Amino acid sequence: MADANAPKPSSSVKLVLLGEAAVGKSSLVLRFVNNDFQENKEPTIGAAFLTQKCQLPTRTIKFEIWDTAGQERFASLAPMYYRNAQAALVVYDLTKPTSLIKAKHWVAELQRQASPGIVIALVGNKLDLTNETSDGDAAGDDEAGSGESDDARKVSTEEAKTYAEEESLLFFETSAKTGHNVTEVFTAIANAIPETSLKSARGPGASNAAGRGAEEQRVQLGGPRNPDSKEGCAC
Amino acid sequence: MLNLSSFVQKAQQLLDPTQGLNLTESDKNPSKASLFQNQFRLPASQHPLYEITAELTIPPSNATQGDKDRERGYHYVGKLHLSEAYLCFSTTATSFLQSASTSTSSAFTGQTQGSGPSGNGFTFPLCAIRRVERLHSQNFQFALAITTWNGFTQDSTKDKKDPAKDRKDVREQRITIQLAGQRQACERFCDGLKKGLRAGVGSVQKLKKVVSECYSEYLLRPEDRKNASPPDAGLGMLFRYPGDPKKLRDRAKMRLWAEYLRDNGRNVTLIRQPTFHKLIRVGLPNRLRGEIWELTSGSIYLRLEHPTLYEETLAKHSGKESLAIDEIEKDLNRSLPEYPGFQSEDGIGRLRRVLTAYSWVNADVGYCQAMNIVVAALLIYMNEAQAFFLLSALCDRLVPGYYSTTMYGTLLDQKVFEGLVEKTMPVLWEHLAKNDVQLSVVSLPWFLSLYVNSMPLVFAFRVLDVFFVEGPKVLFQVGLAILRINGEELLDAADDGAFISVLKSYFARLDESAHPKSENPKLRAVTRFQELMVVAFKEFSGVTHNSITELRLKNKDAVLNNIENFTKRTAIRNLGPDSKQLSPDELGALYDRFYTVLFDRQQRDHIIKEEQARRSKNSRPRLAEVSGDNHGVEKGRVGLGPSTSLMDYDAFREFLAGMSKWAVSDAPSTPRRDNFGEKDKSSYFNSFRRSDGVLSPWGAGPEPADHEFLQRLFRKWDVDSNGTLTLQNVVTGLARIKGKRDIMGAINYFFELHDDDGDGKVDREGILRMSEALLFLSRRGLEGSLSPANSDTVLNGFADGMTSPQGLAPGGSINERFLGSVSAFIRRCFEYADPDHPKNRRTDHVEETASKEPSQDLIDVDSQLADPDAFAIGDDDEDDEDDLLAMNSPASSPKPKPAQKPNASNSQPTLDRKQSSSASVTSSGEPSDRRRASKVQSEKANIALDPSNPLHITLPTFRMVVLADELLEQFFESSFPASFHICDGLGSAVPTMPSSSSSLTTFSSLGIGAGRAAAAALGVQGSGAPVPGAAGTASRGGLRGVLDNIVTDGMRVAAEVRRRMEDAQRELEKNAVPGQQRGDEDDDEDDQDDVPGFERGGAGGPAAGTASGTAAGKGVPGSQAYGGDAEMRSVLSSDRDLLEGADAEAGTSSRESSDGNGNVSARGEASGGAGNAAAKVVGVEFEG
Repeated sequence: MADANAPKPSSSVKLVLLGEAAVGKSSLVLRFVNNDFQENKEPTIGAAFLTQKCQLPTRTIKFEIWDTAGQERFASLAPMYYRNAQAALVVYDLTKPTSLIKAKHWVAELQRQASPGIVIALVGNKLDLTNETSDGDAAGDDEAGSGESDDARKVSTEEAKTYAEEESLLFFETSAKTGHNVTEVFTAIANAIPETSLKSARGPGASNAAGRGAEEQRVQLGGPRNPDSKEGCAC
Repeated sequence: MLNLSSFVQKAQQLLDPTQGLNLTESDKNPSKASLFQNQFRLPASQHPLYEITAELTIPPSNATQGDKDRERGYHYVGKLHLSEAYLCFSTTATSFLQSASTSTSSAFTGQTQGSGPSGNGFTFPLCAIRRVERLHSQNFQFALAITTWNGFTQDSTKDKKDPAKDRKDVREQRITIQLAGQRQACERFCDGLKKGLRAGVGSVQKLKKVVSECYSEYLLRPEDRKNASPPDAGLGMLFRYPGDPKKLRDRAKMRLWAEYLRDNGRNVTLIRQPTFHKLIRVGLPNRLRGEIWELTSGSIYLRLEHPTLYEETLAKHSGKESLAIDEIEKDLNRSLPEYPGFQSEDGIGRLRRVLTAYSWVNADVGYCQAMNIVVAALLIYMNEAQAFFLLSALCDRLVPGYYSTTMYGTLLDQKVFEGLVEKTMPVLWEHLAKNDVQLSVVSLPWFLSLYVNSMPLVFAFRVLDVFFVEGPKVLFQVGLAILRINGEELLDAADDGAFISVLKSYFARLDESAHPKSENPKLRAVTRFQELMVVAFKEFSGVTHNSITELRLKNKDAVLNNIENFTKRTAIRNLGPDSKQLSPDELGALYDRFYTVLFDRQQRDHIIKEEQARRSKNSRPRLAEVSGDNHGVEKGRVGLGPSTSLMDYDAFREFLAGMSKWAVSDAPSTPRRDNFGEKDKSSYFNSFRRSDGVLSPWGAGPEPADHEFLQRLFRKWDVDSNGTLTLQNVVTGLARIKGKRDIMGAINYFFELHDDDGDGKVDREGILRMSEALLFLSRRGLEGSLSPANSDTVLNGFADGMTSPQGLAPGGSINERFLGSVSAFIRRCFEYADPDHPKNRRTDHVEETASKEPSQDLIDVDSQLADPDAFAIGDDDEDDEDDLLAMNSPASSPKPKPAQKPNASNSQPTLDRKQSSSASVTSSGEPSDRRRASKVQSEKANIALDPSNPLHITLPTFRMVVLADELLEQFFESSFPASFHICDGLGSAVPTMPSSSSSLTTFSSLGIGAGRAAAAALGVQGSGAPVPGAAGTASRGGLRGVLDNIVTDGMRVAAEVRRRMEDAQRELEKNAVPGQQRGDEDDDEDDQDDVPGFERGGAGGPAAGTASGTAAGKGVPGSQAYGGDAEMRSVLSSDRDLLEGADAEAGTSSRESSDGNGNVSARGEASGGAGNAAAKVVGVEFEG
């Protein structure tokens, strides 16, 4: 469908965010969608739905983001949200080791229960609470054993990275507060989605050209979204 | 005595699948009390005591300001109900006749004209009634005039000063009720009322406190007394109420309400008339909203019960921390953040306190996200205590299960909602299905937060107004109306996202005109919200509490199963690395077993407690009991939320008894009765059922055994030493036993189990306990593949063997052999034990060699066993028989003190042979050297056996000793792990449980009792070497008791011991080499061939009856013959006792009798010991 500036093929990708309560799932989304950060966000009841586009060189990916509630008891609702998801962002708080355990549980759950071929990214959030420079040397993904001295970090990059490699997950450390690495996560996911699943996976929803107009409208209604953030997403 | 029949009745209720849904109002056949409580929104402490048809007359003086016709007044015909503390009247047909089911009752249905469940009428707390007079009436009618405290409670002190003035301002609320019915019934009702009124006097103070917090009291106070500050009507008083008061016409509403309250009573003395419901439908005025919510939801009655509960709870738990508090803390700043009150410390503080207090009062629910939003909404209109009680009315009655840890209520109502959409809007439903849009993605937050954060607040509160009067059906009606109104647009939405957007924009425009283009200005003035309400309550008036109940029932199982599957899946996946050693099936089965046991136990607890409460009749109502019976009934079911996930020792026993036959008790303490109430779920509980099953702490299942081994296992698994096991503990524990199928692992594990201090040594007592445990584990036969030759026969043979006498042979023989192995085990252990000073290095060396090559040894054994004559190992046969024969002759001359020495030296050669045999296969065994070495050892061992010299065995020794015996080896390799029937349970593993119990009856009659008696007997007997019996005294049950109980094996022990004594004697005499050859024979004592040999020796046969006959006679000679040093206990002497008993009785006790009824056989055994009077006594004791 013709997007005003980029007549590239566009497809939507259903992405679900999972992770322990208060690791910053909603904040990541908010940063990605609105390039904004709020200290006090209303807790997610069930799940929140937002959309954001991500421009790739060859195509446009429209993320339909399901931001789920983190509280443990909402876990049984999660299947409702990760159903048919093509991508998942499993978030932990790198100042909280238990949140990584929970994240591992989610990864296992997704690997067994979600649609096959789902792209999973493991994201350690709240990098701003560590002493590491969260800006600048972004591309390097700073896993060069950077000094984990006296900061709040409790989960080493190495540990999480090793785990991510074992399970073949994308891995990032982010800060929703500073915005560090946030768009990178989504871009990496967009790139990792296999072409094939883009065409078929969403079924009527994705291929339905008639629905496009409605979708366009929805994007605006879905949340007050900053048009600038599109640029932020592009890579 | 317990009232059994009432128990059975209760139990049947429990087992009725439609019962105990834990869905408060949705029980298919709810109790009268719960219907009554629901209808009038009363606390669980209230029960309908009397009920009578009556006509309510509200006198015109009350009904009007004076300008209406004085003659008219208002009349309502309905039912008058009396409970412990309430007098209620409702025009809505009674909902709780005996025959009533929810489908015939329209009560909770709430006729959608808006009258709510309690219809027109009143719900007076008896303490609010000031005076009841009986009126004279001409028609022999029974008429009562009721005067309430309406408006007087506040100023009771001032009343005295100036009653006249008061009269002017506050009109007395006086109503008349004509009772219709037989005089007797009326009298009874009045007597009840009198009693209740007297009891209610004490609550007047509570009433005053509760009422003083109601805004209506302030509102109706005469102007000249309004100087006092108004009661707290929520944060709205400080931060303004949401919405524009002008637009909401708040003043007008307030005037209407003031008038209504003046005419019809305020707060607890309010009389519901049609206007009341109409006033609610148009929206409550801000300052009264909280109070009316409290009244219509019934939470005010909870508050009346415990006016100070909120403050007390906070005080009691102040400073404490909990998970819920952490969770609450995270959300405090994000609850209705747009409302100014919640940007202030005051508002946040209130929210924190209410949520925290509730999390303490209802720890099962604790805190669930969305509660913060709902409570925040409540706090705008009511004070903290009011919100606290309203929250509990919500969680317990209005939206049960919504906020539970599994949120099953939420999920269930989503299914119900989907069902309703499918029924009422098939086109939309089809569209959703086609586009794979999940409705609950949209609707779940509506229900969970009661529309509070879906709609603009002003409208959400309007929904809440109706919701509190008419019940949860309102949520459905509104939801359906939303979809109906947006139907067109929704049909264009092709995915979840589009769907959400449509609705989001709709909610944002609720205040706009529904018909902006209409010519008719009146129509133009109708807002979208008004339209929504009309559609909801007119078009969907068919959605009643009934239809919701039905759908809830229909979907309940699927929803719970879903949750349970999810929980199970998650739980199993999160069990950690140990769990990988078990198969997924096993994990699944373990999970089920674990929670089934906990669930069943909770159920039984509940019933027993309920019964106790019923009997003690002092069931003090607590807030948590608001929902009454429906609360705990299915508690424990995983899907319903928090159930205990900790298994205590008793539960652990029960858990094991469900899958391991050795964990089933031999001596059920409760008699068996007929079955009742088959529980479809627990097929593995089929074997033993008792009519008092639910009464018994073990329910319908077999009574679990209690043995030291179980305690050890429990302690071992309980890694945190907190006296309870989690599923994780159980899985880890079992994984170590069953996981790797590694014999060394199993042996190590068994050793560790008995190594109390973890120093790698097991002392004398420990050795005895080990052997005791071995016997305990094997007393119902061994499982698993015991040897290549007869692996099939064992598995099947066990079961079969128990049913038919001819089949007894293989199974029985294995058990006999095992018993032999165990005695050999003890012997060897003592022989190879290290004294407690590090001296004997050589032993270790030998052990090392022996244990290094277990597999080869195994092969050796296997090859022997592969011999067609599986049970006879090679050419040892004759020797064996010789031996047996030899044994029998000296039996007549019992030696009181054979002492430990002969025993030890006797056993030494046996081990020696074993070693050499293994060594010959394994490594470069220099037999002669070895022999010499072991001789030295044996001498050492002799010293070691002296109880005054502490000794111990180490793991390598233990390993060696186990591996020295092929049966023990197999036991650890396969039979022990296999004895945990994780997946199939006992039901299938031992299909012949009842018949196998025929051979176990001897246990049941002798069982533990015998063990104790025997142990007691042993306790005073002084003899040589330590024996299993020593452990018997040390621990409950006792090895001897267990020994006694070994099916068919008593005689074998006797024979074995006798022979050992012989050997020992000879050993003493010859003191060397010749004995070793004899020793060779020892190992073959296990063989089947021994049996005939033994029988020749004069025993009646290896039947169970005989065995226990032996047992019965056993302890007695010991106690007679020996006395003195309790420390000096020996295998030999005890076995000797056994032997003597056997000699005396074996012949008389017949196999048939033992195969028959347990008691009979026990008796037979007792009389079998007739020659020995004491033996008889013991036998009788056993029976008792």
